[in-house]
Amino acid sequence: MKKIRIGVYVCHCGLNIAGVVDVAAVRDYAKTLPGVVVARDNRYACSEVGQRAIAQDIKRHKLERVVVASCTPRLHESTFQRVLGENGLNPYLIEMANIRDQCSWVHYDQPEKATQKAKDLVRAAVARARLLRPLEVNTSPVNKSAMVIGAGIAGISAALYLGKAGIKTYLVEKGPSIGGHMAMLDKTFPTLDCSLCILSPLMVDVAQNENIKLLTCTEMTDVTGFAGNFKVKLRKKPRYVDEDKCVACGLCAEKCPTKVPDEFNRGLTMRKAIYIPFAQAIPSKYLIDPERCLYFTKERCKVCQRVCEAGALNFDQKEEEVEIDIGVIIITTGFDVYDPSENREYGYGRYPNVLTQLDFERMLSADGPTHGKLKRLSDGKPIKRLAFIQCVGSRNLGNAKYCSRVCCMITTKQAVMVKEKNSEVEVYVYYIDMRTAGKEFEEFYQRARSSGVVFVRGRPGEIVEHLQTHNLRIIAEDADSGCLFENEVDMVILAVGLKPAKDVQDLTKKLRLSRSADGFLLEAHPKLRPAETTMDGVYLAGCAQFPKDIPDTVAQAGNAAAVAAGLLSRDVIEIVPLNAVVNADNCIGCGLCESLCPYGAIRLEKTAQGPKAGVTETLCKGCGVCAASCPERAIAIQHYADEQIIAQIQALLGVR
Amino acid sequence: MLGKSTEAHISFGELDPQFKYEISKLPGGENIKYCFACGTCSAGCPVREIDEKYNPRRIIRMALLGIKDRVLSSDLIWLCSTCYTCHERCPQGVKITEVMNVLKNMAVREGYIHPSFTRQVELIAAHGRLYEMDEFDNKKRERMGLPPVATKCPEASEIFNITGILKLVSKSKSKE
Repeated sequence: MKKIRIGVYVCHCGLNIAGVVDVAAVRDYAKTLPGVVVARDNRYACSEVGQRAIAQDIKRHKLERVVVASCTPRLHESTFQRVLGENGLNPYLIEMANIRDQCSWVHYDQPEKATQKAKDLVRAAVARARLLRPLEVNTSPVNKSAMVIGAGIAGISAALYLGKAGIKTYLVEKGPSIGGHMAMLDKTFPTLDCSLCILSPLMVDVAQNENIKLLTCTEMTDVTGFAGNFKVKLRKKPRYVDEDKCVACGLCAEKCPTKVPDEFNRGLTMRKAIYIPFAQAIPSKYLIDPERCLYFTKERCKVCQRVCEAGALNFDQKEEEVEIDIGVIIITTGFDVYDPSENREYGYGRYPNVLTQLDFERMLSADGPTHGKLKRLSDGKPIKRLAFIQCVGSRNLGNAKYCSRVCCMITTKQAVMVKEKNSEVEVYVYYIDMRTAGKEFEEFYQRARSSGVVFVRGRPGEIVEHLQTHNLRIIAEDADSGCLFENEVDMVILAVGLKPAKDVQDLTKKLRLSRSADGFLLEAHPKLRPAETTMDGVYLAGCAQFPKDIPDTVAQAGNAAAVAAGLLSRDVIEIVPLNAVVNADNCIGCGLCESLCPYGAIRLEKTAQGPKAGVTETLCKGCGVCAASCPERAIAIQHYADEQIIAQIQALLGVR
Repeated sequence: MLGKSTEAHISFGELDPQFKYEISKLPGGENIKYCFACGTCSAGCPVREIDEKYNPRRIIRMALLGIKDRVLSSDLIWLCSTCYTCHERCPQGVKITEVMNVLKNMAVREGYIHPSFTRQVELIAAHGRLYEMDEFDNKKRERMGLPPVATKCPEASEIFNITGILKLVSKSKSKE
């Protein structure tokens, strides 16, 4: 057999490696290995100089394989692959030995043994390199349209960025209107901008942008395909009101006899069974709640149909299945607020004057249950003393370990708003730590203090309700003074945390995404790829990834849109050929691989010889689960073939 | 160089940074290092409500800082009524009631036992019971038709000798 010509490059990585490992000794050792025709050490193999040395050797020494002993392939494999490609070698003919992470860093206190281990790893890398085979990169055409799931401020922003860039974008929202939680806010911190004043222009933009197709009352039921080529099935629920005919005059709701708790006001007011979610809703069209409508529950009434001058009512509307082809998906499904009735000591759900921040936000709004007046819902009494309790359902081992990031600022905002409405209201904030890190946030916290809000560093143990007055008694220690304080207030607002939206679980399964320990969607890299997921072509923004405020959400939506547009700007995408390959002769069609594949990339296909496993290369990540589990060893992973790995292990163990 | 503690300040150099690790190694003390001093324990504590000297937040804080001698020699750790309210509500899962037990056990080993407990040990060692009985009591019992009870209980002091509690009690008394 012809001897394969190998070049070995040992990197100093400044002192990262050379501070511990004897690089010259490793280089000299490499020269003794079979097939190695040249071995060098470089101060920085990844630098221009280091790359040039490899490039020159490929030509001068007619190298057929390259081994770089340096850092992790996650950092620089692509750098060296490009050097190979530019110099006439197939980019997959390189092997890296990670002598930084695996030698100098972990064995920094044992330089001799670290050097020995570096030699062992280089020997193993050379053994594997010898058996590497050239691989061809496939390409697939890119469908130049996008889908955004969830139309809160994250989804609206992402869709607008894409739409304005000329990209056809489907904005899918399961509810009847876009706007999300931001539409429920009265004002936004730290500027006290009216939330809908800044949101509704964007909502109108979405409705008018010719590239954005808005799909409300719609959920994704299925998705197949891969980056650049997704096929998505959507289910659109009927509104029972013809969107083209409805002029939102409101006569139907006026006459409708059925009252239902209004979700938009957190159940604190009533709406009708035919309704529009809120005044600025987009689309500005009415819809029927079939679970409460008298016609759908008892087959009578239909008064809405009789009064509608536009003739928009259509009780025969059916669910629609819609299929769309797209190239990228952005997930902006947001969050749910924590339900504090689990914390029985705070009495939420039992005491009428214990509310959440979101409930109180509706009370501060002109469209809310008290039309923005500071009075109690239980008896209409004006609120004279008010307390906030921070970290309910956050920073708590029993509920959520993480800090929800926005609640300190929401409380500060609501406290300032209360003081501005009536400076005589006494406002107390019970907190563990006030977290006001953000542009102009600390100044806003100062504004709250100077307006007379009392901040008490101490978490109350429980709230006790006075049976007659429905006032609430709080006992808490002020840690700073060391005094135990009793307080009787008219209303308590719980600063509830944000938690992963319930539907995320379903979405995670359908798109095969990962979640972090806190339940939120996992980003591809916490620092460098915060808007990408572990699936190519699927991006994320907003509170689906982690609780964040509006500025951060909009910034991440821009990030997601930019990465998505980057993929869509290409005509084809390259498909990394590190996928599974099936030897059809050995495959017995047992289907074990199909059931185990985490990416849905391997499926049984009917062939003349019976069912055989087939790989969708674009979906396959080369994880090797199928290859490892195949009872007939009929599956191999390209670039990680059995013989390559065995040669590497044997070399490592010194087996000849 | 770290200085010595004065009346105005405690020097970190004289604290025991290992103290929190010692506590967290003992059953019940595991989560003590999670404490972020929110004060939920003090807010709901029935003892704190009647005696401001007893403050679980402050005891845990002092333990975490390593003010070992002051914590273990303090009367306060013996005041916990073991109602478990703080334990139930602590957002960080610190088992405060059990931490108090850990501290009491450590205090005993260091020779700090609250006088009310040393007296109890002495009484049981001498009489086998907390309420001392003598011939006068037995005569009363005889008149009422009840059998006599032992006025001494050498077995109790034998058990206490074996467990070593008597030694600890005398060590504690010598510190007083």
